[in-house]
Amino acid sequence: MVDQTTEPYDAVVVGSGAGGAMAAYVLTKAGASVLMLEAGRDYSPDEAPMLNLSRDAPLRGTGTPDKPFGFYDAIVDGGWEVPDEPYSKAEGSDFMWFRSRMLGGRTNHWGRNSFRMGPYDFKPYTRDGLGVDWPISYEDISPWYDRTERIVGVYGANLGLENHPDSGPGVLQPPPAMRVWELFLKAGGDALGVPVVPARRAILTRKIDEREACYWASPCGRGCAIGAAFQTTTSLIPWAKATGKLTVQTGAMVYEVMLDASGKASGVRYIDKATGAHREARGRVVILAASTGETARILLNSQPNGRSEGLANSSGQLGRNLMDTVGSNISAYFPALEGRPVYNEDGAMGLHAYIPFWLYREQAAGRLDFPRGYHVEIGGGFREPGLGGYGDLDGYGSDLRRAVRGRYGAQIGLTQRGEMIPNEKSFCTIDPDLKDRHGIPVLKFSFGWSEHELKQVAHFQSAMRDLVDRLGGTILGDVPSPDKAISVGGEIIHEVGTARMGAKASASVVDGFNRTWDVDNLYLTDGSVFASKAHKNPTLTIMALAMRSADHIADRLRMGEL
Amino acid sequence: MKHTLIRRLPIVDRRTTLRWLFAGLAAGQLAACGELGGEFSWSPPEALTGKGYGTDPDLLDPKTPWPLTLTAAELKTVGALVDLILPADGDWPSASAAGVPLFIDEWVSAPYPSQQEQRGLILPGLAWLDNEARKGGEPSFAEASPEVRRGILDRVAFKDRIPPELETAGRFFSRMRALTIGAYYTTAEGWKEIGYPGNRPASGPYEGPSSEAMSHLRSAVEAMGLTLVSG
Repeated sequence: MVDQTTEPYDAVVVGSGAGGAMAAYVLTKAGASVLMLEAGRDYSPDEAPMLNLSRDAPLRGTGTPDKPFGFYDAIVDGGWEVPDEPYSKAEGSDFMWFRSRMLGGRTNHWGRNSFRMGPYDFKPYTRDGLGVDWPISYEDISPWYDRTERIVGVYGANLGLENHPDSGPGVLQPPPAMRVWELFLKAGGDALGVPVVPARRAILTRKIDEREACYWASPCGRGCAIGAAFQTTTSLIPWAKATGKLTVQTGAMVYEVMLDASGKASGVRYIDKATGAHREARGRVVILAASTGETARILLNSQPNGRSEGLANSSGQLGRNLMDTVGSNISAYFPALEGRPVYNEDGAMGLHAYIPFWLYREQAAGRLDFPRGYHVEIGGGFREPGLGGYGDLDGYGSDLRRAVRGRYGAQIGLTQRGEMIPNEKSFCTIDPDLKDRHGIPVLKFSFGWSEHELKQVAHFQSAMRDLVDRLGGTILGDVPSPDKAISVGGEIIHEVGTARMGAKASASVVDGFNRTWDVDNLYLTDGSVFASKAHKNPTLTIMALAMRSADHIADRLRMGEL
Repeated sequence: MKHTLIRRLPIVDRRTTLRWLFAGLAAGQLAACGELGGEFSWSPPEALTGKGYGTDPDLLDPKTPWPLTLTAAELKTVGALVDLILPADGDWPSASAAGVPLFIDEWVSAPYPSQQEQRGLILPGLAWLDNEARKGGEPSFAEASPEVRRGILDRVAFKDRIPPELETAGRFFSRMRALTIGAYYTTAEGWKEIGYPGNRPASGPYEGPSSEAMSHLRSAVEAMGLTLVSG
């Protein structure tokens, strides 16, 4: 039994996160009518517990399987598990898939780190013969980065660093001042040739439009009701709604793209979760931005005329080339920071400064044993005390109290975020047996790192040891071997690549405008299209590509091509 | 992993111990409990099942839905232990005065896998403390003299000095220490003691380090032969 919606929209957009909301925003601004389908519930940032206290939350706010990033984290009906929506893993593989079921998706809680990919990042194969090149270059996307950063609101500085492009004049907002522990790290880094520079984050340090500047409190992951920390629910979605051209349907679990007799996409089928009814939504163009995993799942489950390989998969690349960011951590204690004067170090909560990859020349000259870069995110300061991080303290009583006080503000966490090269071991398929509660076949993940990533972890560990040593610090706990230290695939929540972009229909799923090679009016505007996974956090690039793609779609709609 | 300390009596799990205890009570042989002070088993209690707060709780009005489960006797043991970990000190209250035992109860009663795993270490650990106290001729850990209590902790609280047969007890203590510190320093008193100055909205640009903080940093950095360049 299928209910048909009567009205055909110009575009049906599946997903309301970074890629879907950007596409809907650009299209509605261009005058197109858009239906946005979101699998989760409606969500308003007014629900964000911005100034609630951890001590008032269950378990002092500590993460649980219900709320893995803590009780107050914004994510609704999601996390590493979604109730009754399982996924499976191939034997011998581990993979973690973070999902949400809410309007705005994971943009409601992301870290807001917004680093541009650079010229090398779009042509990695040309540079070192590994992976594949993108069909577009940095020059193609550069103006779209500017436009995206301008409307999103990104703080940062133009530093002229290799492969870390500057933004256009007047695009960036001023970065917040570095804090003591960041300046401390910078002093050590300066001596060793390791740069510690202002970070780039999608957080307003100056008010623009109806959104306020950051007020230097409240963890960003809780959601930002004042609009300072970027999320689509305070920006792109309300702006698209204000055009009068956007219809949002929440609780709509899309499972299939429909084709018409000519082989063009005619719309999508979804389950209305409130009633369980199967429905259809029709549009001149279909845009999937359901997330790297869900977009691949919808296409693999769309099997027109019994084509078991799925839709838009003539290349056989759909579901393949799954990548995540390389992650590992080192935490260190610095006696020199003990007893320093207290002041408010919450700031913008996350990075004011970070360590961008600094060894491109050495890498190009063959002096490193790993081919791709990483950056280091740094965390420390007089932060809100939590439940963790006391495992290495010893003894009890008043001495212990003194040790806790001394340690406060004297610890710095160094977090590696590195590039992964696509490999044969890492992909997703449809599980032949398992279905979710809606009866939709689920994804099965295979994942494995290669020597490239493990050697990169080893380099990070050794570089950070040097930095910690130079600053008289002590590494806390053991530093495990790289194969133990490296994150589980998916754990960094930067999964991309399952429908990669390429110059040839034979080796990629979409072209340089995010259009599937096989279906002329079917576009993908999420992380699935990434041809490589630079060490830079993917959300900004997802949005810039979605904006560029949607602009191209708007042109085609205007010209009557769709 | 099961670590059993074999002393004079055969190995029993905690539930068996409890059955003996109740049997003893029924028979009016309460005094016999003291005799149990020799043997001990770290078998975990059955994990609690039940509902957590779910995947979409009301974040603006937090509620802890699960019932607390520690007995009055266990809470007394917890109180005695956490007050040794963080005793009152000058202006600062003891851990129990700051409400830590209630938090420990909430923690071990939470129906989540991690908390239940810890419950499996903590509940036997509390019984172990009593058992050790009884070996020292005291009725329980909570009622033991400060010397006896410290004597027990001294064997499990210092990482380099824990004898191999007390490895599990050492893990129990280490977990309780981390939970006690975490619970204490998340209270208003803890924030005050540690000097967490944040969670305060402000207007205008971020102020950055105070001049005192910068002078301190400058001396620290220069003492290492490094140069401070402001960000």
